[in-house]
Amino acid sequence: MKSEILYMLCVVAAVFAANYALRALPFVAFGGRGRELPRWVSSLGAYVSPVIIAALIVYSYVGLKWRTPWPYIAGALTVGLQLWRRNPLMSIVAGTFLYMSLLSCGCVSVPSDNLKSTVAHPLVRVTRFGIKFQDKLVTPEESVKLLVKHGVPKDHTLHVLVDDDFDNQRILWVFKHNYLDRAGYTKSVWIHERRGESGKSDIKPPDGGVTIPYRGRMLR
Amino acid sequence: MSGALEWRFAARRAFVDSLPVLMGYTTMGFVAGVLLAAKGNVVLAPLWAFLSSSLWITGTMSFAAVPEVAIRAPVATIVLMTIAVNFRYAFYGFSMLERWKNIPVLQKAYLILMLTDENYALETASQTMKRGLHLKYCTVISALNHSYWVLGVTVGALVVCLLGMAIDPDVIRARTNGMEFAMVALFLVIFTDQIRSFVSHEK
Repeated sequence: MKSEILYMLCVVAAVFAANYALRALPFVAFGGRGRELPRWVSSLGAYVSPVIIAALIVYSYVGLKWRTPWPYIAGALTVGLQLWRRNPLMSIVAGTFLYMSLLSCGCVSVPSDNLKSTVAHPLVRVTRFGIKFQDKLVTPEESVKLLVKHGVPKDHTLHVLVDDDFDNQRILWVFKHNYLDRAGYTKSVWIHERRGESGKSDIKPPDGGVTIPYRGRMLR
Repeated sequence: MSGALEWRFAARRAFVDSLPVLMGYTTMGFVAGVLLAAKGNVVLAPLWAFLSSSLWITGTMSFAAVPEVAIRAPVATIVLMTIAVNFRYAFYGFSMLERWKNIPVLQKAYLILMLTDENYALETASQTMKRGLHLKYCTVISALNHSYWVLGVTVGALVVCLLGMAIDPDVIRARTNGMEFAMVALFLVIFTDQIRSFVSHEK
């Protein structure tokens, strides 16, 4: 709890500093002298900013259900509305609403029983809501602490259940390398819950990891 | 015009101009606050919502930080992300260099802090005003928009926290499923506008 508060304070302060530095940059660099703005500066802004934002769009799509067509449909609506009406709020709200509706109308199979874990499951489970330790949502460092507390041996293979609708590779990667590996659980293995015939999961394990299909009872 | 009269004129004009922003900031802020509390995986979410919204004044980061904070990503990663996400802000100040020369330091510091997309658009659009009046206009509109944003984010996080006491938090997470698209949509809108202004400049 204490470290969590410290972490959040650091995040708030760091983002504030970085953000403010960006906004203050022109005033610091060109404030004192009355010299003209160099041409390359303005053209840099015109070229670099859209490229960065484009990269961010690609990056943030990975956090969505990017293997389904729904985020692209919602994205097309957002861009189309913005081109047509030039009303950012309307474009964003309409796109988000469409995406949420597409998800909740069952166009993407998100079984609701997914929220209630079964009795037999590995200790640690990665869901799209975060990391769970025996059904309780925990932070990554808490999950490591709990593993130690429960006396899970570090030289044994640690099974981590990954929900099959979870497709954010990066979170798995960070969880494995920054938390499990560092705590000594280097033999962590991802197992995937399979839901019938269609429940095919094609998550690739973070480098060094092994994936095996989940067949029910493991780790009691 | 005398000083007090100028302030009143600036305030009235700023308030009218800020009304569209009121809609945008409270709505988007609310969503950002809801996301932080529902998916940020942090204790005291309303406190962080209040602090971050008052200090950052960047909607994109308020969204982008949520998944990072949820997995406790290193602070350096989040800083790099801020620089990438908000790179465009480094160019907004250039239009204001002349206008904001030799003004009180605190006022200048605040105006720089508040250089958001919306404020920048309003402040550059109103540059036909004479300098003293324009400065008052910028100050009032910054303060108004600041309060809208903080209000939206904090209320969003508070609502989720209060609901969380009555309802299973997992249910809230399931109900807000897909809301993270708001950030992508925000990027898409920024990108669309950048490309549009780029194309119109080239012509």
